[in-house]
Amino acid sequence: MREEEGRNEHLGDARARHRAKGPRVTKALLVWLTVAIAVVIGVTALFALVPIEAREKLLRALVEGILLGGVYALIALGVVVVFKASKVFNLAHGGVLMFLAYFMWWLLSSRGLPLWSALIIMALASALIGLVIDRFVMRRMIGQSGLITFVLTLVLGFSVIQGVAILLFKGSPQIMPKILPAGSLSVGSLSFSSTRLSAFIVATVMFLIFVGYFRFTKGGLAMRAVSESHIISQSVGISVKTISAVSWVVGCLSAAVGGILLGSMFAVDTTLGSFAIVRALPVLLLGGIESIPGAFVGAFIIGIAESLAGTYIDPHVTGFRELLPYLLMVVILILRPNGLFGLREIRRI
Amino acid sequence: MLPGGVFSTKYDSDLAILRTKTHWLLLGLGLVLLFALPFIANSYWLSWLIGLGITIVAVLGLHILSGLCGQISIGHAAFMGVGAYTVAILTARVGLNSWLCLPICGLSAGLVGLLFGLPCFRLKGFYLAISTLAASYIIIWCFQHFSSVTGGFMGLPLDPLRLGPIDLSSRAAFYCVTMAFVVVAAFFAKNVQRTATGRAFVAIRDNELAAEVSGIPVFRYKMLAFFIGCIFAGVAGWLWAYSQLRVNPDQFRLYDSMWYVGMLIIGGWGSTTGVFFGAVFLRLLDVIVDHVGPPLAEAFPSLAMQINVSLGLILLGLVIVLFIVLEPRGLYSRWEKFKAYYRLHPYAYWERQD
Repeated sequence: MREEEGRNEHLGDARARHRAKGPRVTKALLVWLTVAIAVVIGVTALFALVPIEAREKLLRALVEGILLGGVYALIALGVVVVFKASKVFNLAHGGVLMFLAYFMWWLLSSRGLPLWSALIIMALASALIGLVIDRFVMRRMIGQSGLITFVLTLVLGFSVIQGVAILLFKGSPQIMPKILPAGSLSVGSLSFSSTRLSAFIVATVMFLIFVGYFRFTKGGLAMRAVSESHIISQSVGISVKTISAVSWVVGCLSAAVGGILLGSMFAVDTTLGSFAIVRALPVLLLGGIESIPGAFVGAFIIGIAESLAGTYIDPHVTGFRELLPYLLMVVILILRPNGLFGLREIRRI
Repeated sequence: MLPGGVFSTKYDSDLAILRTKTHWLLLGLGLVLLFALPFIANSYWLSWLIGLGITIVAVLGLHILSGLCGQISIGHAAFMGVGAYTVAILTARVGLNSWLCLPICGLSAGLVGLLFGLPCFRLKGFYLAISTLAASYIIIWCFQHFSSVTGGFMGLPLDPLRLGPIDLSSRAAFYCVTMAFVVVAAFFAKNVQRTATGRAFVAIRDNELAAEVSGIPVFRYKMLAFFIGCIFAGVAGWLWAYSQLRVNPDQFRLYDSMWYVGMLIIGGWGSTTGVFFGAVFLRLLDVIVDHVGPPLAEAFPSLAMQINVSLGLILLGLVIVLFIVLEPRGLYSRWEKFKAYYRLHPYAYWERQD
């Protein structure tokens, strides 16, 4: 870390991203290539090692992991967006997700609304939640340390929103009405749930829409500018407050989609929030909190690791699957705190 | 700010915690009142006070770790659980004397704390907080799943506390034990703040780089802060185990860790007095929830099932959020302003410059 400080001293901003463009692209490519090669080698090695009769089990675990990973990526994206815009690590994401999943269940089952109107109300509700959190809580916290906002979102998500959800929706587990197709699909000898497959497709499409928004639209450009520097963005006429509000809305929208998908895959429950955030945390840590591609890659790694652990370790150690995300968090934090794609924080005295 | 007419004429008097005769008088009265309470209070309030005392011991540890050294822990209840489980396991399975277990409880919680504090070698801020968050879940998972040792979800029972021939199982007796621990812990925490170690902690909290340049071995001091903070948690866990006479994984949830951090925030970071304010404030809210819940449940029968749980979550969470947003320096700074205002009464308001 010290050497980096020396090397970047002549550059204006204190971030590694401001290095010349050439090496950055090469480095990113290298990292991607390494990951791809490692994945290919790992999978081939696994298959070579595993006897033929066990291959199907392995393949099923891998597919299930990939399908889970798509949903985790979407959930993690919501946290990344808010973090990039305002450097707030949004632990309330899980709570919002759980609340919106219950809300969707309530709209569909108790109110009996048709799907399209429920989806519109969901979008409006999640935008409203995002705006309220941004305007009344987070705007007052601008300039506070990351630790304080961390505790704030923790309390907000795990306690206040959780409490409201229990108050309004009784807190008993519910079954989400069928939105995604049920049944199972089989490819060759392999069969998997089509709910999960469609959840994966929806999540990936949403993920790509969000990424496209950041990449190709003016609003997305403004968001990327804000994530680099608040002061410079303001000086070129970008309203940081608006961007922060938009980022919260996008974050809550991703929570809404994630809530619907997770609710359909499992059940609508009060533990859904901590389930989601606990999966998003290792994903984010592994990918690097500021990196969207990192969230994508991290999500698949975590998804596959989880489903492999569920297939192979769970029968011997009960409940290991629930423990795995936490273990991964600690291990990643000790070994590679900036993740695979995260920016190395370079501080100056 | 000191009252008028009190000057520091000697170094000793400058260093003293208790500066005036009024301080001594108040301390004496406070101690007498503290140990006279069992004769006045009914059993509901005695149980509440025991819970409060245990909480204060735990939060004092968190105060050293977070308030002084700036390393946040969102797994403090789990570290407390380590202490509680240590005593339960050692007395039930090994048959050790419960008082012998006390230092072992502190040590075991301290060592587990060190283990999860290790990432602070490279991390700070919320990265470290995530590591302690994970610690909270991992520890509770271990309680639940190593059932041959920990009794699984059912937990373990304990025998009532005895000191030689004296039976300490009654509420009043146990209250006195708890309060003795509170007094000792408060004295220790207050004094840690005033030693070279405590000043090193504060230096690390305020500016890590500056601390390192000044020759403070930052990592070692951070680990020390984790160790001391978790020893408090372990001792609190020992008290908790004997106050409930049963330990189970549900007693040490993430919520409790969250409330502990909340107490620190409500009280005001970095002051021992603030810990007392915060703990009393949040625990009083608990009492309010207990008393307001049933009438509300009668008033809204459709919500009767969930109103108690959700009311607690919403009220406590909202109070913590409001404190973070509106008064991040906590009740302690209000208290200081209040004192200053009355000391200066006819004159203008004076604000501490810091």
